This record gives sequence, C-alpha cells and structure tokens, in this order.
Amino acid sequence: MRRSFPLRTTLLLSGACLLVASMLGVSAAQELTVPASVTAGDETAISTTGSGAATFYLLGPSVSRRNEVSLGQEIHLQARELQNAGDYMAILCSGTCRSASFYVNAAKPASVTFLVHPSRVPTGQSDAVSGVAFPFDQFHNLVLVPKTINFQLTTGNSSVFSQPAHTRDGVAWFRTASGKAAGMLQVVASLDDLSAKRAVQQVASDPCNLRIQGQRTANGIVVETEPVHDCAGNPVPDGTIVTFTATDASGKDTVDAPIKKGIAKAQMDAPGAVVVSAASGVVMGNEVRIGAH
Amino acid sequence: MRRVANCILQFRILALAATLLLVLSSTSFAVDSSPRVQLNIAKAGPRAVESLTERGILRDYRFAWNSMAQALEFNTFDPLEGPFAGEAKTWLRDTITNQQRSGLSQRYVNQNHQLEAVFYAPEGDVMELHDTADYQLQISDGGKLIHEEHVVLHFVVLMTPAADRWVIRQLQAVPQF
Repeated sequence: MRRSFPLRTTLLLSGACLLVASMLGVSAAQELTVPASVTAGDETAISTTGSGAATFYLLGPSVSRRNEVSLGQEIHLQARELQNAGDYMAILCSGTCRSASFYVNAAKPASVTFLVHPSRVPTGQSDAVSGVAFPFDQFHNLVLVPKTINFQLTTGNSSVFSQPAHTRDGVAWFRTASGKAAGMLQVVASLDDLSAKRAVQQVASDPCNLRIQGQRTANGIVVETEPVHDCAGNPVPDGTIVTFTATDASGKDTVDAPIKKGIAKAQMDAPGAVVVSAASGVVMGNEVRIGAH
Repeated sequence: MRRVANCILQFRILALAATLLLVLSSTSFAVDSSPRVQLNIAKAGPRAVESLTERGILRDYRFAWNSMAQALEFNTFDPLEGPFAGEAKTWLRDTITNQQRSGLSQRYVNQNHQLEAVFYAPEGDVMELHDTADYQLQISDGGKLIHEEHVVLHFVVLMTPAADRWVIRQLQAVPQF
C-alpha cells in the first residue's frame, strides 16, 4: 500500500504535467526538414518531428502561408506555392519556433525574351545591329543554367549572320554589322525548339555619287538629281533631304528638297549665270553651270 | 552628508538614464536608416556604365529596397508603384496580398547591399546585377515577432530604364552566383 502511493503520485503528476503542457501548447521538441532544392512548379513536402499541434509558416516570393499542422506528419507544399524561383523560409512554431530555408530554382526554358536594336538601320554599318536574349521558364523565372542560344540574321533567303552564344548569368547577346541590301532583316534567337523573331528595317545608307542636272526655264532654273543611290546601289528612301545651292554674282540661294520617287527636284530664282551644287548629309554632289537668261 | 550622497546618486542615475536614452535613440536611428548600397561596375559589359548611370542605379536600387521593406512591413502596395515593374512587381504584390490574408509581415533591418553590375546591354536598355544582401529579417504574426535572424542572400537583378528612373524587373534569390 505504501509502495503504490508514490507510483500513483507519479502517474498523477505526469498526467497533470501532460495536461498543462497540452493546454499551454507545449509539445515534444519539433524539427523540420526542408528539401535541398526544388524546381519551380514542382510539389514537395517538409517533414516534421515531434508530436502535438504546431503553427506552420511559409514565406517566399508570392507566398505567405500560415496554417495549423500536426507534428510528426509531412507538410505538403503545392506546386502553385512554389512557382517563383527564390529563397523560401519555413517556420514551425510550437511553444518555440524552428526555421529552415530552401531554394526554388527556375524550371526549363519556356520562352526567350529578345531585345533587338535598332528597328531601322542604314546598310553597311559596322556594329549597327545588336540583340540580347534572356531565357525564362513558364513561370517567368530567369533560367540561370547555361544554355546555347543561336542568333540568326537573314535578308530574303541569304544569311547575314549566324552565331551560337552561351548564356552567362541568364543572358546571351550579339552585335554585328548591318547587311548590304536594303529591306527587311529577320533576326531570330532560338533555343532548342523555342524561338523569338524580330525585324529590322535596313534602309539605304548615305547617298553615293550624287549627280545633278539643271536647265533654265521661264521662271528661273530647275535643278534635279539623278536617281539617288547609296554606295551599295540601294535607292535612298524618299523624304531624304537634298540641299541645292545656287551661287551667282549677287550671292547664294539655298533650297532644301526631299527625294520623291528617287529624285530630288527644286526650282530657283536665278536671272544671271549661276553655279548650282547639291549635298545630302555629308555627301557632296557635282556642280552644274547654267548660263544667264 | 547623507543628503549629498543621495544627491550624487540621483545625479548618477539621471546621467545613466540619459546615456541609455541616447544609445537607444541612436540605435533606433540606425535601424530606421535607409539601405546601404555599394555598386561595383568594373565587370559590367559589353557597354561601359557611364557615371550618371552608375549614380542612377545606386539611387534607384536603394530606393527600391527601401520601398520593398516598407511594403512588406506595413502590407501596403503603394511603395511598389514606381521602383518595380514586370515580374518583380507581380510577385511582390502577390506576397503582400497573401501577407494581408495570413496576418504576417516582414521587416528588413540594417540592410547592406554589395551590388555588382555583370551585364549592360549594348544599347543600354537592360542591366543585370548581382546583389549580396545582408540584413536582419524579422517575421511577425499579427504583430508578434515569431522569427528573427541575420540573413545573407544573393539576388540576380534585372533593371531597365524607365521615363525618369531605373526600375527592377526581376529580383530572384539564388543559392550562389
């Protein structure tokens, strides 16, 4: 009888302690084990040890979760919670709090963001066209694992430039000269079966061999250029300004005329003998001498 | 004689209290100070970073982290308007929305950022940076601090120029560079 008393006391005390512990939310020391790393959009689980109830927190890019869990059971993390690459912190609180963090890495590339400059470029210019490509996964995370991106520039059926480039820190780039022929330049960045296409309008460069002719009319003189081309033979676009300068005994007279259908034309007042020259940008044309009325 | 001793003791207590107050106030100033950012442009390429751009990046990156810290601490969206765009803005907004639901908030204290420009596009329309950030992270649930630790994180950052500033489009934490 005397021996059973301490046992009963011990049992009672233990029961009381457990009751108080459960009332205070104190349970066996909890631990949590997070995955070493996760791929974006994959499901995963966090294992816990201990017993009793606990509060679980998950914080990460786009995520702020708080819910009650049972210690000793796995905490399931859904795929939609882990779509953003980055650092995630899991916290488990049961009396005290324990934490662990893990990384979510980008999934495989699903798109290529491709920036190309400029949208319009003169032909035959060195280092005139450049492009930058970033591979992103389906959740818009930057893919940092090195990938090979093929850059291809074509005009019509001819290749102007082709070069594979390895991404470094999630970016690959190129820079090259513009083509010799005016027209649409197709610029493509491809990664496996993904590709992004851009277009650059190649226009004629500065006029080359600018030649003019003129004649006297009843109202003065009319001067006009021959069809204006760049040095590669591309017609200079309409709207390009040609400046005609007429010099006579009384001084100089200047007229700016835009090219229309490949030719720039101007009418000037010049009663006496006159010398007319033409220029477009930094390019000078020939001079023509027109006699007096 | 006892009165003099008491007076000296009171004076010492007052002086001690004043010192403590001073220390506490200087500590709170340090806590509330804006993020410290150091930028290294030595490895940036293929385009060289102009000094005006360097100053702009420093100013706008510091402002962005200050704004993000405010947004995550007070669970408000307003600070995100301006310094963030694209994917970075989207996930920050989602985080705040979810924090409002869960009652959580995060506080970034004593931020230090070692920023390094690693890529500057030929036409200057995008810059990639690596940031080694360290700060005291405090997580609260309903105003009650549940977790605090000093963290060191690595971020890959994409910034693009907007009308009057550089904005963060991508802010992605990585295990290492």
